[in-house]
Amino acid sequence: MTEAPATAATAQEGVPLVDHLAQQVLNELDGGERALVVDTLTDVIGGAYAHLPAKRAAYAVDPVRALTQLRRRSGDLTDTDFHRMLAGVVTGLRDAHTRYAARRTMTVAALPFLVEQYGPYASPTFIVGKVAESMVGDRHFKKGVRIERFNAVPIARAVDVYADRETGGRPDARRSRALESFTFRSLKHQPPPDEVEAVIDFVHDGKERRVSFPWRVVDPQRATTAVRPGTRGSAKLAVNSAAEMVRRGKMLMFSFDVWAAQFNEAKAAPSTTARGASDWIETSFPDNLAARAWETGGRTVGYLRVWTFDVDDVDGFLAEVERLLALLPRDGVIVDLRGNPGGLVWAAERMLQLFTSKPIQPTRFSLVASPLTRSMAQSPFNRMELEAWAPSLEDAVSTGDLYSQPLPLTDPEWCNEGRGTYPGPAVAVVDANTYSSGDLFAAGWADHGIGDLVTIGEATGGGGANVWTSSMLRDALAGTEHAFAALPDEARFTLSVRRAIRSGLSDGIPIEDLGIAGVPYDLTRSDLLDGNVDLVAFCADLLERR
Amino acid sequence: MWAIKGRIVPMASDASVAADEKAAFAGKVWIGDDGRVAAVTRARRKDPPGSENALVVDVGTSLVLPGFVDLHNHLAYNTLPLWSEPGRPAPYAHHNSWPGAKSYAGEVTWPAYALITAAPAELLAYVETKAIVGGTTTIQGSPPKNRPRDGWLVRNLEDETFGTGNANLVYASVLTAKPAQLAARANSMRAGSLFVYHCAEGKPGTIVAREFEAAQRAGCLQNRFVAVHATAVPKEGFAAWGGQGAAPGAIAWSPFSNLWLYGETTDVPAALANGIAVCLGSDWAPSGTKHVLGEAKVARLASKAFGWNLADADIVRMMTSVPGDVLARAWPCQVGRLQPRAVADVVVIGAKAGAEPFGTVVDATERDVELVVVDGRPRYGTKALMKAAGAKPTTTVRVAGEQRALALTQPDDPAAVLKWGDVVDRLNEVRKHPKREIENAQATLAAWAGRLDADDAPLRLALDMPTGASPVGGLPKDLDDVTVPPLETLAHDRAWLDAVSGGGFHGGLLDDLARWYP
Repeated sequence: MTEAPATAATAQEGVPLVDHLAQQVLNELDGGERALVVDTLTDVIGGAYAHLPAKRAAYAVDPVRALTQLRRRSGDLTDTDFHRMLAGVVTGLRDAHTRYAARRTMTVAALPFLVEQYGPYASPTFIVGKVAESMVGDRHFKKGVRIERFNAVPIARAVDVYADRETGGRPDARRSRALESFTFRSLKHQPPPDEVEAVIDFVHDGKERRVSFPWRVVDPQRATTAVRPGTRGSAKLAVNSAAEMVRRGKMLMFSFDVWAAQFNEAKAAPSTTARGASDWIETSFPDNLAARAWETGGRTVGYLRVWTFDVDDVDGFLAEVERLLALLPRDGVIVDLRGNPGGLVWAAERMLQLFTSKPIQPTRFSLVASPLTRSMAQSPFNRMELEAWAPSLEDAVSTGDLYSQPLPLTDPEWCNEGRGTYPGPAVAVVDANTYSSGDLFAAGWADHGIGDLVTIGEATGGGGANVWTSSMLRDALAGTEHAFAALPDEARFTLSVRRAIRSGLSDGIPIEDLGIAGVPYDLTRSDLLDGNVDLVAFCADLLERR
Repeated sequence: MWAIKGRIVPMASDASVAADEKAAFAGKVWIGDDGRVAAVTRARRKDPPGSENALVVDVGTSLVLPGFVDLHNHLAYNTLPLWSEPGRPAPYAHHNSWPGAKSYAGEVTWPAYALITAAPAELLAYVETKAIVGGTTTIQGSPPKNRPRDGWLVRNLEDETFGTGNANLVYASVLTAKPAQLAARANSMRAGSLFVYHCAEGKPGTIVAREFEAAQRAGCLQNRFVAVHATAVPKEGFAAWGGQGAAPGAIAWSPFSNLWLYGETTDVPAALANGIAVCLGSDWAPSGTKHVLGEAKVARLASKAFGWNLADADIVRMMTSVPGDVLARAWPCQVGRLQPRAVADVVVIGAKAGAEPFGTVVDATERDVELVVVDGRPRYGTKALMKAAGAKPTTTVRVAGEQRALALTQPDDPAAVLKWGDVVDRLNEVRKHPKREIENAQATLAAWAGRLDADDAPLRLALDMPTGASPVGGLPKDLDDVTVPPLETLAHDRAWLDAVSGGGFHGGLLDDLARWYP
């Protein structure tokens, strides 16, 4: 891992997109390499993709057929068109776990502001929610200004057009994800923006103005506390990797001190942003957690922000959550998981026990039953990982079941360790960008009746799977009749390999696309501009009623 | 060409060498540069042509036999001590009973996983050494590997291709196979492969007897079928198998393991009466002897206890010529016999002049194993004999209180010695820091971008036994909870005997092993 840049300016400025693209040396794939990539994706989507039956039904798509057609034409396409078409087939699955990546870069294309929405879904208002002021020359363009157009397209339409390229299963999830990455694009997972400069029409003090920003490319790096590649935890991830990179990019842009602190303790100066303000409790997991006491309506409640479950040291993480909860008021706590893109499955599922004394039943996961998964489960190299699924995959030949027996990835004992439980009532807040392990946490929260689940939008993002990278899948299939060759550097993918279904009260219901619904709440302008004041008050009322 | 001069016990089927398998005579075994036996000559006969300047290693009155074949093992687990579930009052019913025991995963799967993951080359070096100190030259049960690797110290039965490049000479399966898989194996055997299958392991009358019936229905009862254990097979089953033809196949008999887990063992007389070849296998360290030479003693104890009257010559055949003939049904050459064109796998067992050879072999301990030759190359033995045989490079290893020379080489450089101390140190490093070492190894593997079956890919091994009742994913919550016990010694010793006396369900039968290992 590289070290963090010395100053916010260097890190946030990055390099202009146009320069970045000029420096990129992409080896064009020849016909044979393209065939290899398409054949591999055809095999694994047809044989290992956990949601294939559901996606075929929900979106009337047939990715295997589409890939077969693409293979016929692939030799005639330009390299760029080949990658874009391939990515289009995969993105058409509407699954943020399942992505085709034509670049190995870990960078993010960024504009120095966030677009956020408030109000009802049918008639939202789009405003600038955050600004990296040092990167913006126009003094009128600041937090709270209403955005009218993006590249001369009415903003609502621009968001919807971009949402069509996004992976969310529901329209609200797609829009939410589109907004999340509207000004921050993971270049590993998405094509670069079409334009090198974005032109924004906005309203300030009743007057319409125009400003333009060049797209810049920044390197947010992975957190030092994140799950390390190759560890056993890396096979137990449920995460939207693109959203995780975007989250890191936003942290770099809007909370530089917190972002930089993990690289060098000497840089861990108090942040000037809300998260680093004096009322926030210092934490040893700043990439994952933030906590504070919050006065609202004459009451003081606890507020725990869980940014991500991408954490390697789960025991340390849980101990830190316990410590923070112990420092918070005992009369109620708000657990805010908005925008949490997921991470390690058992970080999320083990955390539930800190809020209830009820026995926790972890989410269960199935493999799709196919010759490929049977072969994979039988491989001696996968015994430790997949042995438990092997018998039911074999039985599926006779029973006709589409899936294996669902089994937990998190040992139930690990979810019920007798850790200290927060004594007061608790409410969790999620949105359509709460995804994957975030979905699992929300499912566990709802299905064990831990507390109210407040939902911004219809439900959580609906990412119900354990995701593997192409190299992990290649290792798992090595030595089987479904082994595939090493792919060219320019072609990588991730795949939903084990489908999650809920436990407890909603036993057997899948998470993918459906997400977890709760008490609906529409964000207000004050929430966006004044630190979630209305949302916190709403949650405090719910806590009061419990 | 070189030769070993001593008292030859060739176990030959070639009448030009000996009239029968019980022959023993003063003479020489001539070993060609191709790793095959060039000739076997008696003392008063002329040496073969081309041997005029050949090196001759004189072992005096010691016995010169074909190297021993261990037809049933699980090498990945052979650094571990004997395992038994504390407080277990009664023998297990069958092979699906004990993997669910509470202590199994923690005491067997996890430590074995730590070593194969973090130190795969050193693990193989250790366990193959443990086999060779008992005279083993061919062994079954090598852990699945990510890349081809013909034998290192000892011939690994599943990996051996004899230069043919055909990796399917032998199939093996530990887990119960489905009918369709058995059917596929039946056809593989018809096409020339051997199939070594854990089958009907458990008490007679238990459900696992159906595994044998399923194998029968699938057409597996052929002469290339090796049923491992077959303890639950009734007499009628052996009779049905024996009726399949003149050479109906084989069983791998592991009496120590059977008695340890189930308190009973295979009906060997019924198998023999039906013409089924009975071969010895020492099984794995958690429920077995340390090598097949130790298992020979258990065979004698079992024979005596059950009134089977197996002769010592029969027991020696079970680890030489009988498995050698079974393997020859799939391999392009013969092991287990010393005769022209056979593979030059040789073991020298110390003996006094005129000693009865077969009883001497069954009674032999690690101290009596003076020289082991694999593929015509001296691999292990006393320092004097290894030097005389021109073995180099070698490292020194202490076995049963005596120093021995071991021709252990670096996995990627056959000309460079791998020091025994380095092997042990590396394994102990993993023992001390299992979490760190497992994670480092996993990271190295994850960083490998090339083909996993490439020659230069990181060596990756897999466990071949059930993982047991452990969390999904097979490992404890905290990898620091993986406890790797001290490495089991290479030779049967007092500590091992104490464990034998205090565990298992053998009813004291195995306590008599103390006779050989006081």
